[in-house]
Formats: sequence, structure tokens, C-alpha cells
Amino acid sequence: MPEEQTLIEEESAAGASPPPPTGAGLELRGLTKRFGEDLAAVDDIDLHIAHGEYVVLLGPSGCGKTTTLRMIGGHEEPTSGDILLDGESLLGLPPDKRPTTTVFQHFALFPHRTVLENVEFGPKMRGIPKEERREKARTALDMVGLRAMADRKPSALSGGQQQRVALARVLVMEPKALLLDEPLGDLDRLLRLRMRVELRALQRQLGLMFIHVTHDQEEALSVGDRIVVMHEGRIEQVADPYTISNTPDNVEVATFMGDNNIFEGTIARRDGDGISVESGETEIRGHAPGVDTEVGQPTVVSIRASAVQVEQGAAASGPNEILAEIDVVEYLGDLVKLHVSAGGRRLVAKVAGDRYPEFRNTEGSSVRLSWKEEDVRLLRA
Amino acid sequence: MSGSSEPEGRPAGLHVDEIVQAEQVVGETALGDKAGTGARGRRGALTTAAWVTPGALWLLFFVFAPVMMIVLVSFWTRTVSGFDPIWTLENYDFLFSSNVYWDQLWNSFWHSLVIVVLALVLGFPVAYFLAICVTSLRYQIALFIVALAPFWTSYLIRAVAWIPMMGRQGALNTALLELGVIGEPLDVLLFSDFAVTVAMLQLYILFMVAPIFFMLAQIDRSSLEAARDLGANAFQSFREVILPQSAPGIVIGSIFVFILTMGEFATVRIIGGGTVSSVGTIVQTQVASVQFPQAAASAVFLVLAMIVGVFVLLRFSNLREEL
Repeated sequence: MPEEQTLIEEESAAGASPPPPTGAGLELRGLTKRFGEDLAAVDDIDLHIAHGEYVVLLGPSGCGKTTTLRMIGGHEEPTSGDILLDGESLLGLPPDKRPTTTVFQHFALFPHRTVLENVEFGPKMRGIPKEERREKARTALDMVGLRAMADRKPSALSGGQQQRVALARVLVMEPKALLLDEPLGDLDRLLRLRMRVELRALQRQLGLMFIHVTHDQEEALSVGDRIVVMHEGRIEQVADPYTISNTPDNVEVATFMGDNNIFEGTIARRDGDGISVESGETEIRGHAPGVDTEVGQPTVVSIRASAVQVEQGAAASGPNEILAEIDVVEYLGDLVKLHVSAGGRRLVAKVAGDRYPEFRNTEGSSVRLSWKEEDVRLLRA
Repeated sequence: MSGSSEPEGRPAGLHVDEIVQAEQVVGETALGDKAGTGARGRRGALTTAAWVTPGALWLLFFVFAPVMMIVLVSFWTRTVSGFDPIWTLENYDFLFSSNVYWDQLWNSFWHSLVIVVLALVLGFPVAYFLAICVTSLRYQIALFIVALAPFWTSYLIRAVAWIPMMGRQGALNTALLELGVIGEPLDVLLFSDFAVTVAMLQLYILFMVAPIFFMLAQIDRSSLEAARDLGANAFQSFREVILPQSAPGIVIGSIFVFILTMGEFATVRIIGGGTVSSVGTIVQTQVASVQFPQAAASAVFLVLAMIVGVFVLLRFSNLREEL
């Protein structure tokens, strides 16, 4: 496995280069799904996913991510648009005719069949002879470490084991794209943390296209090569996890990813790449290279909670400084999350966990928040 | 599991073995607890007895005792006003001396099986529609109540209602005459085997629909999607996923319909008129002429035939899908 650092660089590079418009991989073109007259669950999305890529569709419930996945799998017909796999349209094909398979949220195992019979179901439907498909199924069970459980019924397995059976059952199909619909949603937290690492490792090992739907930001950052943030049926941003986390494109992404402080204001000054934004009493200075803005124009900036420095008993005088009152001190082990309010504005700052003694029982006291110019991010409204 | 304390420092890889081991350890601990000590074992036995007793008493009073009573009476002697507890084989002698009873038993047996098959063929689609095609729970419940509507009236009314429907001057004959399908009223529609079969089907089909409906309603819809996703076409997903999971409902429904139609006499009397008879009508005739021991002997073999039928039907639930 590559070191964490090179991994991020690779992913940044992959995110920066625009995907090829046609050819290999999965392509969504103007994909739209309407339920009823005017409610667009998925609204004209374009996306290209390469083979071997792990893509996460991330967004709040009702953002259209599951509908998108179901359209790729053939469980939902698009209202308009096209889905192409290696240049060929999948439209009109029923799920059993598509080279995709889905891991469903609640596993959807067949309760009347044993683990082995569940896994061999797909090959059986393809008419593969009994001995051959049993061997395939055992190999797939080996891959998820469940060969010993082959003769049990799904109800005799733990949640994590059932999840693995669901995985083995789709892997045995050797699909061109694996679709995962909230695959870890039914597991408890510890197992979820472990399974997401396993999923990532499995995807690397197989070099298969994984499309993973989740509403969990951390899970998305953990597994994805690329993250597609969706909101109200539209794609808000497509980028590698590092970019999504550090430089959200717009208010929706910044809000949904969480732990971003969002300031609305107007541009007070512009000096080359440097900008100055007036937001209430606060002056925020930052850089916006290549962004076309005019003085007096309303704008929104965001500052990551972890980029905010917190000092007790200091006065706020200059730009990029603000006095705030601590509302809640939330200790999370590795870090301390300070929920503060300043002039009716709710802000959040993260400091290292070892500073907890400094902030214990300081609710109601005053602190100074400050940040660096390079941490100020101008958002698309 | 040291990995959990420092996840970053660890090379990413499959941790499956460790997890499986951990889960096995948990399982073993639970088993160890369950085995417990001798004292706990005895308390467990008492608890089990406490749970079993009400059901056992129920069976004793409502199933075992009445059946034993019938068997006893069948070996007793008939008197003018009833019977005396004097042992005799006379009732069975009489039963075995006549072919009428055995022909009728055989007929009723087959007739009931035919009705079971018809109820299954006609009832399964109804249950399937209610449980699988209707996706809203509200409509499901509403339609199920509508399907139960005939049960709001008494059994006799439902049976008698077939007479104006099927009679010579009945609705069906009139309609067929009006349409010019037939030139003369059909007599076969009423007071015939056909009429009895149709009426029984209508009276008992819900006993088939209900258990199948409840089994189908429990099927996880996403497992049907998964079947399609894994390459099963609509027919295969029906055969491989829906049918096996509804099998217990089919068997229970079949047993209901079989038992209820096998002992039938009222419908046979009303719809069959004097022309159709069954084991039920034979027993009923004997009871009506105060031949209680004779009726009991006839009933004993009726019950035995039912038990045979139930065992035949139960065999189907053990039919594991061939792989």
C-alpha cells in the first residue's frame, strides 16, 4: 500500500485532470428522474467514472444519490438522459441483463437459502453447472473470510457477516461495476469503521469500479477516490476527498461537509488576488486568485473549523479576528470541538485534544478566534 | 485487537480473520453461559413446562378428549335413545360389510384434494396481488378486508345464496339464455357435484389466500430486487425466491381447505340437494337417526383419512428446492 501522502497526491492528480468524454468506463449523460410532474429526484447530471475507480455519491437523504444508483443498476428507469458503459447504452435493459450488481442497504439476503446457496444464486441463474458455481461461490466466500459459515442460514449470522455474504454474492458475478447502496448503514459504528477499510482494500485488490452511496461524510472521505457531492438532485462538486474537505466549491458542499464556518458579506476591497470581505463587524481577508469579483458584490466565504485558532483572554482588533463566547465544549478524544457564538453567529473551532484541560468548564467565557488569510475560501453562492 | 487503537499506523488490508475470530469468541462465551449449572438447568425445565402447559391443556380438552370420546363410542352398543357403554365390534362389522361408505370416503378424499388444488390455483394470484403488487400498506389492509367481506355474513347464508345464483331460473342461467350462449337452462349448475365444488371453493378459498398472503407479505422486497440484480428473470425470481418462501403458507392453507371440505355436510346438503352425498352427510344422517355408535365408527375413519391427507400435504413443505 502506498503511504498516505502519495495516495493523496495521486488522488489530487486524478481529480484535476478532466475525464475523457467517451469510451471506457461508466458515463451518465444528462441523467434525469422525475417522480410526478415537477419533482426532479435527479436533475440533469453528467458524470464519468473510470474502471477501477472508487466513487462515492454523497449527500443528505433525498438528494438523489440512491435514485442515481438505482438507475445505473436498472431498478429505476430514467425520465431522460443516458447511461453508457464502455460506450454502450444500458437504457431499457432490466437489472438481470446489466453488467452491474448491487449491494443493498439491508443486505437483501435470501432467508430460505444457506450462505453458500445465496452466493451461488447469481451463477446458478446464469446456468453455470453445479460443481463449477459451488467452487466459484467458495472462492468468493474465502475472499470475505466466511467459508466456514457456508452451510448456515443468514439469520444465524451477525450483521457484519451478513454484510460479507452480500459482498461475496455480488463479487461472484464478476461485475463491471459494483454498486453499493448505503452498504454500511445497518452496521454498528465500530464494525462500520472496520468494514469501510475492508471495502477500500477489497476494491484496490480487485481493481473494480465501485460506486458507493452514503450520507456519511467521514465514510465518503475514507473510501473514495473521488466524491460526488449531491444536493436536491444536482451535483454540487466532484473532487478527490482532500479537495472536497479543504476547498468546498459552494455553500451547499461547505455546509454539508460540516465543520465549516460560513460568513456572508460584501466585498469591501480588491487588491490583486487579495480580497477583503465585510461581514457584520468582522473583516475577513483572503486570496481569490482568478475569481472575478467586484467591490460591493455580496459574497460568501468559509473557514474550516480546524483552521481556526482559539485563544482565551485575548482582544480582537485586526482583520481575521473575532471575539466569541463559548456555548459548548465538546471533547472528542483526538480533538476538542468548541461551539461558540459571535454577534448572533454560530461558529465552530477544533483544537487539539490535549488542550481540553484548558477549555474544560469554560462555557460562557470569551475567546478570540483567528485564522490565516490562506485558509479563507471564497464560495460560489 | 491492537489495530483499533492506532488505525493510521496499520497497513490497510483485510482484517477478516481477526474479526471472524473475535465473533467466534463471543459466540463461545454465550454458549458457555447458556450451558450453566445444574440448578439453572432444572429451573429451565420448569420454565419450559410452564410455557408448554397451557397449550397442552388446550389440546387435551379440545382435540384429544373429543377424538377419544368418538373412538370410545364407536366401540359401544347402540340403544333406542343413544348408546350403552357395552363393548362391541358390531358398528365396524356393519361399516366393513358395505361398499357405500368406502366409495364415499374415497370420493370425498379426492373431491377435497381437487378443491385444494383449485383453491391454490385461484387463491395464489389473489394473495400474490395483495402482498406483492399492492405496495401501499393502507391499500393492502383495505383490500384484504374487502376480500374478507363474505365472512361478515353467516356461513349458511353464503351457501344458500348460491341457489338463486345457480338455479334453473337463477341469475347465471338467465344471463346465459339472454346472451344466447345456451338454448335451455342448464341443470348441472345446481344440485350437482359441479355446484358443490364451486360453492365450497367460494366458501373456503380465503383459508388458502390468508396464510399465503401472510407469508408473501413477509418477503423482503429488496430480496426480489436482489434476485433480479443477480441475473434472475421475472419467472426465475418467482420460482427461486417467492415460491420457496411462500411454501409454508401454501401447506397451511391446503391443510385448512382439505380438513374443512373433507368433513363438509351442510354445503353438500344445500347445494347438492339429494343428489350429492359425502362422508359428512353419511355421518350426519346416522346422527339424525340416533345411531351414535355407528356415526362414531364412520367418523373414526373420516378422521384417519384426514390425518393421511394432512401427512401427504406436509410432505410438500419438506420438499427442499433441488439444487
